[in-house]
Amino acid sequence: MVETGHFALVLAFALSLVQALVPLFGARINSQKMMAVGGPVAVTGFALTALSFAALATAYATSDFSVANVWDNSHSLQPLIYKITGTWGNHEGSMLLWVLILSFFGALVAAFGSNLPATLRANVLAVQGAIGATFLLFILATSNPFARLNPAPIEGRDLNPILQDLGLAIHPPLLYLGYVGFSICFSFSVAALIEGRIDASWARWVRPWTLVAWMFLTGGIAMGSYWAYYELGWGGFWFWDPVENASFMPWLAGTALLHSAIVMEKRSALKIWTLLLAILTFSLSLLGTFLVRSGVLTSVHAFATDPTRGVFILCILTLFIGGSLALFAFRASRLTAGGLFHPISREGALVLNNLFLTTATATVLIGTLYPLVVEAVSADKISVGAPFFNLTFGPLMVPLLVAVPFGPLLAWKRGDIFAVAQRLMAAFAAALLAVLVTALFIDGSSVFAALGVGLAFWLICGALTDIAVKSGLGSVAPGVMLSRFAGLPRSVFGTALAHLGLGLTTLGIVGTLCFGTEKILSMRAGETVQLSGHTLRFEGLYPAQGPNYSEDRGRFALLGADGSTTAVITSSKRSYPVRQMTTTESGIKTIGFSQLYLSLGDEATDGSVVVRLWWKPLVTLIWGGALVMMAGAAMSLMDRRLRVGAPSRRRRSAGAMPSASLP
Amino acid sequence: MLFWVIAAILTLGASLAVLLPLAGGPKGGSASSDHDLEVYRDQLSELDRDVARGLIQPAEAEEARAEIARRILRLDNAADKAAARPSMATRLVATAAVLAVPLVSWGLYSQLGSPDLPSQPLSERLAKNPADSSVDELVARAEAHLAANPSDGRGWDVLAPIYLRMQRFSDAVTAYRNAIRLDGDSAARQAGLGEAIASEAGGIVSSDAQAAFEAALKLDPSNPKASFYLAMSMAQEGRIEEATIGWQKMLAALPQDSPWRGAVEQALAESARRSVASGVPAKGPNAGDVDAAASMSPQDREAMINTMVAGLDEKLRQNPRDVEGWMQLIRSYVVLGKADQARDALNRGIAVFGPDSDEAKKFTAFAVSLGLTATE
Amino acid sequence: MTRKQRRLSVIAGGLAFLGAATGLTFYALGQKASYFYMPADLTTASLQPGQRIRLGGLVEKGTIERGQGTTVAFSVTDNQKQVKVTYTGILPDLFREEQGVITEGIFRPDGVFVADSVLAKHDENYMPKEVADGLKSRGVWQESKK
Repeated sequence: MVETGHFALVLAFALSLVQALVPLFGARINSQKMMAVGGPVAVTGFALTALSFAALATAYATSDFSVANVWDNSHSLQPLIYKITGTWGNHEGSMLLWVLILSFFGALVAAFGSNLPATLRANVLAVQGAIGATFLLFILATSNPFARLNPAPIEGRDLNPILQDLGLAIHPPLLYLGYVGFSICFSFSVAALIEGRIDASWARWVRPWTLVAWMFLTGGIAMGSYWAYYELGWGGFWFWDPVENASFMPWLAGTALLHSAIVMEKRSALKIWTLLLAILTFSLSLLGTFLVRSGVLTSVHAFATDPTRGVFILCILTLFIGGSLALFAFRASRLTAGGLFHPISREGALVLNNLFLTTATATVLIGTLYPLVVEAVSADKISVGAPFFNLTFGPLMVPLLVAVPFGPLLAWKRGDIFAVAQRLMAAFAAALLAVLVTALFIDGSSVFAALGVGLAFWLICGALTDIAVKSGLGSVAPGVMLSRFAGLPRSVFGTALAHLGLGLTTLGIVGTLCFGTEKILSMRAGETVQLSGHTLRFEGLYPAQGPNYSEDRGRFALLGADGSTTAVITSSKRSYPVRQMTTTESGIKTIGFSQLYLSLGDEATDGSVVVRLWWKPLVTLIWGGALVMMAGAAMSLMDRRLRVGAPSRRRRSAGAMPSASLP
Repeated sequence: MLFWVIAAILTLGASLAVLLPLAGGPKGGSASSDHDLEVYRDQLSELDRDVARGLIQPAEAEEARAEIARRILRLDNAADKAAARPSMATRLVATAAVLAVPLVSWGLYSQLGSPDLPSQPLSERLAKNPADSSVDELVARAEAHLAANPSDGRGWDVLAPIYLRMQRFSDAVTAYRNAIRLDGDSAARQAGLGEAIASEAGGIVSSDAQAAFEAALKLDPSNPKASFYLAMSMAQEGRIEEATIGWQKMLAALPQDSPWRGAVEQALAESARRSVASGVPAKGPNAGDVDAAASMSPQDREAMINTMVAGLDEKLRQNPRDVEGWMQLIRSYVVLGKADQARDALNRGIAVFGPDSDEAKKFTAFAVSLGLTATE
Repeated sequence: MTRKQRRLSVIAGGLAFLGAATGLTFYALGQKASYFYMPADLTTASLQPGQRIRLGGLVEKGTIERGQGTTVAFSVTDNQKQVKVTYTGILPDLFREEQGVITEGIFRPDGVFVADSVLAKHDENYMPKEVADGLKSRGVWQESKK
């Protein structure tokens, strides 16, 4: 089975070479047969990669320590779920997952791309094949997960205990679906550049892929953030860690792409910019892969540092980013510019969005790469952390968030900002009320906190206003309004949901950062502590035994007003003997949208234990908002507009032209 | 063999995925302009829906409609390029593509793969034979690894018990010492170190080994290996009485299925045999001393035993919370035939721990077993 | 405003925005980036009072003192010099004697480094990269590849 997987991987590499070259050549000489090779090859390549991945996962599940990768990252005593997720809890396996998802998207284009013009489809698949071929070569040459050990060791070296968590089952696959999903947008852009023309429906074809990738990336980042929050025991949800930035940059650029593609689709404007943005978004995904996998950055994600891998990925990076940008420089002038618009219009608002988002991406990029550059040119070692990003990213985001509710309400081409402002009066009043209530009744000490809450309410109410106005609230009869509401395109709901989610996330961040409280103290069994109106009693440490670890569980009782126990929170120190590692499992109690978070420190000689407690108001909204954003993307995906563009299916109705006569 | 069949089938399938489209009949592709027209038509109908819904003003709609119409007029309706005739070059490319799949895959795999190595799931291997003949090879591999990375504590930790089992005792001592130095103390490591030192000395538990076992017991008071060997060391010093007590305590605490039971029972049998052979019952101040005393004259012997019992009595007056000490003292007085002093010792012992304590009950029961009562 | 003027003003506005963003970014880099030092570097480095730095090295053996409650003191060494560090909070799980550590904070006037964050390695194979490089260059530590 193991060697079958290995052979399937090699075969997938051979096929990806064919996929990269034959359709491209076919499109060049307009040979239908050669172009048609792309589809079946992409699907077969995916099947082989999946077989290969299944073989590796089986080796993990059955603890086959004759596979070096399994020996290095697994242990026979691990629970089955962690044996399986351990497949991608290491460098080699995670790269295989990356390629699996890449070939999956390629197969999807092949399967559902029958409505694409043949040459475009051939070129897209060729670019996709080229990416796959280089990464498969990378795996086979520098990070082969199927390297064998003979004789096989009896026991493995265990998976890093930090990764022995359900988060590993969800976070990397979601993140990779996002990262790699943008490869489709990239391939479409490069294909358009190779052909030298952009079809009118290009934006409609690219948009669903952008939405899918963006949706998964949002989920992946949110999940990673929540995982770090509860697993690392520091209580933070975002650390501006270079590896987090590596996933955040494609998200920012992808968000910009999502918006500029709307303009391109509706008005045929911003074509060249959208193309460039698609290239940049995937380039940032590749850069993220490079930063994480090459070991140039120190983080929990740097599984192993091997210089040859770094150099190899750097070469891939140069090839694709450099190649696509060079192609762009040569071909962009051949693409025609689109429609004109007034600065104050929906297009204008979307350009503003793009301006802010790409600038924000650039600041994050600079902050992430600056230490590397400084270290390369001088001996100094510096680190750029949260203070830098708070100072640069914050000021960029605030005006953008203020502007968000205006965008969807502005008319295309030429908008009336005063009319829009009038419609947003209710939302503005709600936000103002939120500011006043916060400042007067909750916490008057921080003006920023009150304004932050106001901003969040502005976003939430702005999103609701969008739906209300488009349903005709106040201007038509309730019955008409209801039918209008039901008839609104799904994408309108998608936009409103995504913006609503953004507001919720903002509220969660403001609530946690501005109203959260924290205590560090050393406690003995029986002692109680007060935090933001909650009383906790430390019940003591209790030893317990897990499948491959032993732990000391600290039990805390949450006391009600009458002193009775309303809930028990446990935080534990786990010790994994194989790797000689300890981890801290934090104890979390969710109360409404807020959480009580506590984490155990060391036991002192006198028997007391250091305990760190946090009260995190509204913290779950940070990730809840991300879920709402994902729901928005899913809603937009269902919009009927995205299914249009296939001439063969609708040709019969071609005679039925729209009712209005052409001028 | 099965692997090669599967590999051949996979290769065939992959090659067909390339070959079939190339060999298939000509297909009519749709022209790009058809797609464009479709999109523009849809944009127009969407505009109508927006107007009907009142989302945009009629004037704006008219403007937008004009713009879309201009795009439709601009459509490049030129017929697509004629399909290429299959030339020599295209046929060459097609052949190369079909051949590349088997050539590249088999060529690469022959370099990278290990086709003769079967999968070895752990459960299967354990079912087959846990102590496969490859232990020597394993150890050799581990040694090579540790020679290159001497600071890998985990490697030493894994290797040390294997050395012990292979009777490479001095290597085991080194490995345990390295594991303790690099990865810290643990009961298992200290006990292993003690066992290795003792085994190296032919089974004699030296003071070095004792120190290791004591360290192990400090980390884990119930460590059977350390308890066993410490009792053994007492037996080796001739303190068979204490050794017996140690082993008996172990036997009481060990779970039913513990592998140590057999060893402990054997050791107990051995010590009982030795006690009988020495001609003195396994009681008295100190079995070793009694052994020695056996060769003395009766007066000397009694004097010596009396001295030692008095010493013990004195010690207990200073450190009274010593359960074992009290029991030993009571028994000594009984053996010496000094029932009054024995009773006195019993009462003092009970007074130390309180009449209702577990210890007191234990003392009483013990005294009864010796034929002594507290109040007589 | 004519269309041309309007377009120019839009472009000017965009450029001004980009300029401001660039300026802010580089100002922030100058202000907020923290430098990494090993103890022996500190004699040559000129630190402003209150400047945030990252201090890395090994936790010196036998120097970890747990004071009352939650404050811990220890020495960070590069086997040439050592610096006393105090930290209030929970130490990372893998904080141990003679292991690599990175602390971030400022120097108190009496020369004690007050850290507000302490990072240790994430698993047993991994040494913070800055620390590993620094120690290697001093010949103190050799990489033990697994």
